[in-house]
Amino acid sequence: MTSTPKYILARLGQAVLVLFLAFTLASLLLLILPGDGVMARFSDPALGLSKDEIAGIRASFGADLPWWQQYASTLLGFLTGDFGFSTQTGAAVSTLVSAALPSTAVLALTGFVSALVLAVIVTLVASYGRFRWLRDVADSLPSLFISVPVFWLGIILVEFVSFRLGWINVVDPGPFESLILPSVTIALPISAPIAQVLIRSVAEVRAQPYVRVTRAKGAAGAWLFVHAVLRNAISPALTIAGLVFGELVAGAVVTETVFGRNGIGALTAQAVANRDNPVLLTIVVIATLGFVIVNLLVDLLYPLIDPRLRTRKAAA
Amino acid sequence: MPPSSPGPTRRAVLGAGLGLTGMLLLSACTHPDTAVPAGAKPVPGGVLDYFEPQSWTVLYPPAGGFYPNGGILNNITARLLYQDPQTLKLYPWIATALPRINADATEYTFTLRPGITYSDGSALTAQNVVDNFELYGRGDKARGLAVSEQVTNYAGGEVLDEHTVRFRFSKPAPGFAQAVSTMNSGLLADATLKLDSAGFGPGSAAKIATCGPFAITAERVGTLLSVRAREDYDWAPPHFKHQGRAYLDGIDYRVNKEYSVRIGSLVSGQVQGVRDIQAPDQARIKDKGLQLVAAPTNGVNNNISLRSRHRLLADIRVRRALIASIDRQRILTKLFTDTYPLATGVVARGAAGYVKAPDDAWVHDVDRANALLDEAGWVRGADGIRVKDGARLALRSNTALPQPRSKEVMTLVQEDFARIGVGLSINDGDQVQQDLDSQDIEKVQVYHAMVARADYDVVASEWSINNRDALANHDEESGAWGDEEVERILARITGSAKAADRERALAEFQQHVIDQALVLPLFEEPQVFGFRQEVQGFFTEPVGRPTFYNTWLADGAGRGEEA
Repeated sequence: MTSTPKYILARLGQAVLVLFLAFTLASLLLLILPGDGVMARFSDPALGLSKDEIAGIRASFGADLPWWQQYASTLLGFLTGDFGFSTQTGAAVSTLVSAALPSTAVLALTGFVSALVLAVIVTLVASYGRFRWLRDVADSLPSLFISVPVFWLGIILVEFVSFRLGWINVVDPGPFESLILPSVTIALPISAPIAQVLIRSVAEVRAQPYVRVTRAKGAAGAWLFVHAVLRNAISPALTIAGLVFGELVAGAVVTETVFGRNGIGALTAQAVANRDNPVLLTIVVIATLGFVIVNLLVDLLYPLIDPRLRTRKAAA
Repeated sequence: MPPSSPGPTRRAVLGAGLGLTGMLLLSACTHPDTAVPAGAKPVPGGVLDYFEPQSWTVLYPPAGGFYPNGGILNNITARLLYQDPQTLKLYPWIATALPRINADATEYTFTLRPGITYSDGSALTAQNVVDNFELYGRGDKARGLAVSEQVTNYAGGEVLDEHTVRFRFSKPAPGFAQAVSTMNSGLLADATLKLDSAGFGPGSAAKIATCGPFAITAERVGTLLSVRAREDYDWAPPHFKHQGRAYLDGIDYRVNKEYSVRIGSLVSGQVQGVRDIQAPDQARIKDKGLQLVAAPTNGVNNNISLRSRHRLLADIRVRRALIASIDRQRILTKLFTDTYPLATGVVARGAAGYVKAPDDAWVHDVDRANALLDEAGWVRGADGIRVKDGARLALRSNTALPQPRSKEVMTLVQEDFARIGVGLSINDGDQVQQDLDSQDIEKVQVYHAMVARADYDVVASEWSINNRDALANHDEESGAWGDEEVERILARITGSAKAADRERALAEFQQHVIDQALVLPLFEEPQVFGFRQEVQGFFTEPVGRPTFYNTWLADGAGRGEEA
């Protein structure tokens, strides 16, 4: 492995390539699909526009140009920071996205942190639970969590916590109140793969001779778990944590619909329904960017957590 | 149990989870919701929390046909005339009297009520009223604003004096008086008339200035639109008992696309009103002691059009067979409730120009259907679908997403068709896909739809080639017609100066589509609302959009008081 700055540069180069490919693939797919945003908005029979009138409106939006011209002009726009205008509402895409992004970012962050906490708790119970049956139950939780459809979970939570117990309002909740149920909804399925990997990894590490040695030296309890076991078991879980970032975006589409939140997820759903390609493209690029950044961070974290990676790097 | 086989545990837990869900959904609890004694006096105050299934798209009044748009426009705009939802009679509102109309219905003169202001403080003037209809009658393509489908043959408006305006039409426009009473003709302030389609869209709603009992005050894009009562509103239709400001302090129109959340919020008392209670839940809402309001939409009935221009449907015997094969009663019993009456005419019983169709108009008779197809030379092929000259009798229908349970309705029709050896596939896809495909007769030959408007013109709105063209009746390129007579009759409905002539033309239209087997009306489509008991005085305008002017809350303070 080469020096760190060079490594980071190479990874950044990869990231840019991934972004470009995602943009190209998405924009070509959207251009191939029948029907565009202009058609979507003006072909409604209730408007009673004739075919000529629709053609005129399409021309004024540039929707009648050949695909490569549309692709090139969109690419140029993205490079210069101009994401275009929503075909549905006419608002600048940058305005729509920047209005929706904070709420989704907060939801994704709280969801992700809750997922990590949940995964660690499940792992602890599955590995150190007092009773055999308790360990077995905890051990099977990840399989249960991953099989729960986010949509269903959201509705059940609303039904039970809000409608039956009346603890949380779904209609007009406070800023903190509004995060609780959506975060749990997102966290559960995301925690599953992390917990699953962590449980196996902890079991593996606990069987290692050095753990027994550490214990023989008198280490026990939390110290043993954090310093000897978790530290060595966490790398695979970290990889998974980076990969599940995509689930957060997908989860946001569903949760924001169920809980009536306005965010990137709701914006995506609406943009898909209206064939609002400029909005969709921007969201694809933002999601890719998030994915690339998270995985870059994960890669950079490895050497910090695992000294073995540092040693090899120093040796090289 | 060994850890390597957690299967039974998992299954047990899952099973328990599913069981729990079922229980929860079946037994959502009700907050105490006590009935209000009849005859109680309206009290002012309180904000009504009201759920819509879809977000509004544009508050340009001619786009009021879309329910979420219309539900807002109807409450924030005032109109020249008011149409009574029961009798469909017109009354003065912003105009001081019904318009003076010339003999051939090409000139309408209105006198305007003085002292009316818009929510931005500007005054309603004669010039402003003319400017409104200049926009609705001509549209403005450069700003993406379409012509109102209800204002046809518009030739111009003029200010006669400070309080009098006149509108002229190039051909008789008998529907204009009714058209000015609908939310599609809601009046807008001068500044609002200058907006483009984005200006009427989400994100800038608070800038829209109107002169109805409520005005938009706040908006959270995609989730909430708040309207508040105007304290200075003093121009309700003069025949109303209730004058002055609305009883409610305001309405919060909320949007949640998830049906179970909307229903749950109503049952648990987090909102006080919900639009669109679907048939399977109506009994449950009543059992919970909530109010169920089924408002008639007084337009064309929910129906199926058979596009006779298509080669497979050109033979009238095929069309007659298809209509005879459909069991309308089965559709109603299987999918709907008593709030959806069987259609007895092309338009609903409460609609303008309703004539009861002859009893033998749409009889379900599978044997006759089979006989008709045999006679027409269609013989069953190996897969059960009939064939003639190498062509399979396989058709395709749209899914009318705004209509209740359209997919299920068409699935039952599919079964009925299969019984007589006719194939039917149902077009999938969202609204945009449906709109695009429905215009292409090669893609959709069986068209499910419904249109609401309390005027004779409503049939033209659905079937005329100038409007929705449900029959895809005319091919612009080849000039071919499915049934040109349909268009000729519709022109008499929209273009005759006298109401009696229009009514006669509508009856003739109904007889024509019965004789030619072009349309099968299924049922009268209501708009179904659910309300908490404290919500009083609610009614809808003629096509089922909510009117909140007379609505009041029995506890006067809105949400949070019961518990």
